[in-house]
Amino acid sequence: MNKISAFSARNFKEIIRDPLSYIFCLGFPLVMLIIMTIINDGIPPQTGMTIFRIDNLAGGIAVFGLTFVMLFTCLNVAKDRSGAFLVRLYATPMRSGDFILGYVLPTLLLAVLQILITFAASFAVSLIVGVELNVLGLLLALLSLLPTAVMMIAFGLLFGTLFSEKAAPGLCSIVISLASFLGGVWFDADGLGGVMLKICEILPFYHAVKAARMASALEFDGYFPHLLITLAYCVVITAASVIVFKSKMKADLQ
Amino acid sequence: MNAIETKSLTKRYKTKTAVSELSLTVREGELFALLGVNGAGKTTTIRMLSCLSKPTSGECCVCGHNCQSEAAAVKNIVGISPQDTAVAENLTVLENMRLICGIYGYSPEKTKQRIDAMTSLFRMDEVANSRAKTLSGGWKRKLSIALALIAEPKVLFLDEPTLGLDVLARRELWSVVEELKGKITIVLTTHYMEEAEALSDRIAIMIDGSLAALGTLGELEAQSGESGLENTFVKIAAQFGKGA
Repeated sequence: MNKISAFSARNFKEIIRDPLSYIFCLGFPLVMLIIMTIINDGIPPQTGMTIFRIDNLAGGIAVFGLTFVMLFTCLNVAKDRSGAFLVRLYATPMRSGDFILGYVLPTLLLAVLQILITFAASFAVSLIVGVELNVLGLLLALLSLLPTAVMMIAFGLLFGTLFSEKAAPGLCSIVISLASFLGGVWFDADGLGGVMLKICEILPFYHAVKAARMASALEFDGYFPHLLITLAYCVVITAASVIVFKSKMKADLQ
Repeated sequence: MNAIETKSLTKRYKTKTAVSELSLTVREGELFALLGVNGAGKTTTIRMLSCLSKPTSGECCVCGHNCQSEAAAVKNIVGISPQDTAVAENLTVLENMRLICGIYGYSPEKTKQRIDAMTSLFRMDEVANSRAKTLSGGWKRKLSIALALIAEPKVLFLDEPTLGLDVLARRELWSVVEELKGKITIVLTTHYMEEAEALSDRIAIMIDGSLAALGTLGELEAQSGESGLENTFVKIAAQFGKGA
C-alpha cells in the first residue's frame, strides 16, 4: 500500500502543479457553464428548448469536464513513459498493479473534486436564475458519474500507454469532441432522433449525461439502463487499459 | 564474495546482438568501469543486471540472486541512475526522495534519516525545496544518483553519470563517487577515460557486445603495451577492428 500511496501522491502533485490542469479541468467547464447559462437566458421560453437550462446543463458539463481528466491522465502517463523516470521505477519493487492504481486513484480524486466544484457552481447559478436544483439529486448525480470518471481515466491510461506524448493528446481530443457532441451535452440528442440518436445511443457518453441529468432531477424512470450501459463501458475500457498497460510494461522489460 | 556474476550473458534483438557471451565477475565493494564506444552493449548489460531487460541466453546474478528467477530480490538490492536524468520534474528534491522511500516502504523516521544522509552526501541543502525541473544539469544528475542510493542498495549502477556535465559538476560527482568507494559495489559506464582511470578499481572494455579486455589499468596497459587508459582503449579497440 505504501508503494501505491507514494506513487499516487506523486501523480496528484504532478497534475495539480501543472497550471494547464486548472485551466482545462476547472476553468473551461466553469466558463462553459456561465456562457451556456447566459445563452439560455436569451432563448425565448416559447421555443421549448431547455438543453442549456442549469438543471440540464449541470450533468452535461460534469461529463464534459471529466473528458479533461482523461486528457491529463493521458499526458501524465505518456510523459512518464517517454522519459527515464519510469525506467527508474521499473527497477524498484513496484509491480504493474501498483503503477495502475497509482495513476488511477489520484485522478479519481481529482475527478470527484471537479464534479463537486461543477455542481457547487451549478447550484449557485440555479439560485441566481431561479431554477430549482436538488442537493440530494446532485449527490446522486455525483455517484452516477463515478463509472464515467473511471472510464475517462481508463481512456487516459490506455492512450497514454499506447501513444507518444505528442500523439496521445490528439486522440484524447477526438474523445472530448465525441463526448461533448454525441453525449448530448450541447444539443438535445433525443430531439434529433434518427441515425444521430442511434449513434449517440451506441456510445457511452449519451448514457453518462442522461444518467447524471436524471439522477440530479431525481427521475428514476428509465435511469438504470443508462447507468448500466455506462457501467458496462467502464468495465470494458478499464479492463482494456489494464491489459494494455500490463502487456506494455512486460514488453518494456523484455 | 562476488557482487555480480555473469555467465555467457547474451542479449539479441531481431537483427542485432547487443551483448554476446559476456562472462565476468565484480567483487563486493569494487568500483567497476564498463567502457566501450556507443552501441558496445554497456547499457544493455546494466539493464539486464538491474532486471530491466531479460537475457536471451546465459545468466546473471547480483549478490547471489538470479536476475531472472529472483527479480524481486534483486530489485531490493540494486539502485540505478539511468543515462537520462530520471527524476519527477514537478516534485521538489525532498519530495523526489520521499517518493522513493515510500516505494521501498520506509517508516517516517527511516525516510527522514535517509533523506538527511543523501542531502548531506550530495550537499543538497540549498536546493532541497526546489522543483526538479528548475535544477541545473549537475544538480539533476546528483538528485538522480541520490534517488538510486537512498534505498541503500548493495549494488549501484551509474550509466554515464557525468554525460553532458561541465568540468566542475563532473569533478564534484567524482568526489561523491569516491566517498562511496568500498562501501557499496559500483558499476560505472562512461565515455570519459579520465573518469574511469581516476575512479575505478577494474575496467572492462566491451566491443560490439563482447568483452574485449578486463583488468586493472596496469594490467590493461601491460596487455596492450600502451600507457594511459585512452591509448590502451584505442589499441584494444583497433585489435578488434574498431577505430584507426
